Amino acid sequence: MSKEILNSIKESLINLDLDRTIDFVKKAIEYGVKPLDIINSMADGMKVVGDMYERGDYFVADLIVASEIFKEVMDILEPLIMREKLKPIGRVVIGTVEGDIHDIGKNLVATMLRANGFEVIDLGVDVSPQKFVEAVKQYKPDIVGMSALLTSTMINMKKVIEALVKEGLRDKVKVIVGGAPLTEKFAKEIGADAYGENAVIAVDICRKLVEELHKSR
Amino acid sequence: MKFRDRVVLALRHEESDRVPIDLGATLDTTIHIKAYYELREYLGLPRKPVRAMGVGGQLAEVDKDILDLFHVDVIDINRTLDPVAPYPYRFKFVSAIDGSVKEVSDREFYVWRAPYGVDVELPRYIEVVEVGEGFAGYSTGKLFGIMPRSGYYFDSLVRWRKDKPPLADVKSVDDIKKFDWDSFKVADDVVEILRKRAEYLYKNTDYALINNFIGSPGGYHDAGGQNLRGWDKWLSDLKIRKPLAEAILDHIHEVRMYNVKKIVNAVGEYVQVIKIGSDDLGTEEGPQIDVKTFREFYKHRFEELINYIKKYSKAFTLLHSCGSIYPFIKEFIDIGLDAINPVQISAKGMDPERLKKEFGDQITFWGGGIDTQHVLPFAKPDEVVDHVKKLIKIFAPRGGFIYASVHNIQPPTPPENIVAMFKTAYEYGKYPIK
Repeated sequence: MSKEILNSIKESLINLDLDRTIDFVKKAIEYGVKPLDIINSMADGMKVVGDMYERGDYFVADLIVASEIFKEVMDILEPLIMREKLKPIGRVVIGTVEGDIHDIGKNLVATMLRANGFEVIDLGVDVSPQKFVEAVKQYKPDIVGMSALLTSTMINMKKVIEALVKEGLRDKVKVIVGGAPLTEKFAKEIGADAYGENAVIAVDICRKLVEELHKSR
Repeated sequence: MKFRDRVVLALRHEESDRVPIDLGATLDTTIHIKAYYELREYLGLPRKPVRAMGVGGQLAEVDKDILDLFHVDVIDINRTLDPVAPYPYRFKFVSAIDGSVKEVSDREFYVWRAPYGVDVELPRYIEVVEVGEGFAGYSTGKLFGIMPRSGYYFDSLVRWRKDKPPLADVKSVDDIKKFDWDSFKVADDVVEILRKRAEYLYKNTDYALINNFIGSPGGYHDAGGQNLRGWDKWLSDLKIRKPLAEAILDHIHEVRMYNVKKIVNAVGEYVQVIKIGSDDLGTEEGPQIDVKTFREFYKHRFEELINYIKKYSKAFTLLHSCGSIYPFIKEFIDIGLDAINPVQISAKGMDPERLKKEFGDQITFWGGGIDTQHVLPFAKPDEVVDHVKKLIKIFAPRGGFIYASVHNIQPPTPPENIVAMFKTAYEYGKYPIK
């Protein structure tokens, strides 16, 4: 029974059916299905949605609907989860760099990371190198994610990495960068660990980066 | 050959003597003030503050000497530098700086030192106040944006998260009715000024004329629903809150038709091009929505707008839509759109050869002249020349091509590249293309 309901939750999410997904989630809770299992089904559904986006079957609008559905389900599950104390896969500090106010891409990455079990601390936009460093000291994340949309601000990513090196924090985190003007080449040049071409790829990379980090610790 | 004829021939898909060139006729085909300042320095032109054509994006009004140098064929009727129509528009507002009542025309300017190191000429109805985050911009006394200390643009309050889009919190169709839609309707005195300017420039210059002012909302999608509801929220409105989206679009369309009718009646006989809106439908990676959604909400509304313009004037219609918009081009051709901008060739599916082959005889490409994200700022001048030649070879044959960069030229861009670009556009753009 619970396997069927979990599958229905996943399918309704894939079909971007908000009402049906909520109905099935409520039913699942009634039947005593564990919140973690519901979240895992949602995460599986999000992965399929992400794959469909990569293939060009789904569009940005569809990713946004999926993350709205996810958020509504999380609102229902959060009070139940608090009791269960679930451990996140990893912790990510994310922000758009100094001088840049664009955040749609960053927000999408943050949401998809949360949907996939990460704890995300979003520093917002126009984040200075000092602010990134302070956040790393305060939150001790596994990953630092940086976003920029302008050719004139992406160079500030290098400043952040240099600041982390200066504070002796660089080898304690993995750095992933993304944004429209960025390339794999640029990411390498500035000393980042990874370049995420889009939100879906970014989540995959973050999973791998966390594994690498935990192995080396 | 006269500039005006050259542009009209291109829009009719005929080859004139050369490809027409646009730099500065629209807020999507001009250049950032910083890059423009550096260009003028490089060319050894007399140093002076740069006049802002667009304050938010810090976009330059292009001087006549540059228009001449680059062989530009088309200008905006609201231009404030020579050639300029002598009809100022007067604003009366309460100053954000000292609370006094100010009366200024849109042709009065003052100099403001921008944080990116250039003296900028701002119109007097714009006031700038230094604040914690940077510089707050006020237009006729209303705060519209803040430039970060190390920034290049005035970013909207919504981007700063200091404000919400006007319809962010509406829940029902009734909530939408309560919004002051009439405030978007264009005033008769504004329309009269547009008419006078269009007529003057039509009779006193040979330039092709474009009217960019279509009132607010400036579109249905990006400048429409997304502007009013929020970028992401509107996208999900179209999927899971359809009655709300329909109601909002009905109101938007009613206002847009009101504005278009007034404006076309005023300028229709003088301008060659009317920009019908700014509606980014793409992203870098793909369209924002599927074609089905486009047809469900937008196609018929765009069609009514375009039909009115076609019926009541001889002007060609131009739409601005950034990003990967390949699937919508055929839809726009269906409803009679004449020209599309910026033709973002670096976005997915926007391959120049494919676009020209499949649509080149049915729609004019206004843009697509250089990859402003990867080539113009970073390549060497001779690479720029090769790149521009390739694009002209693809887009120019049989007309239907107005040469412009893909969107505004941004800093940092080497001035030598800008010069190489426009020099090549002029020389290599001669018909027949070799």
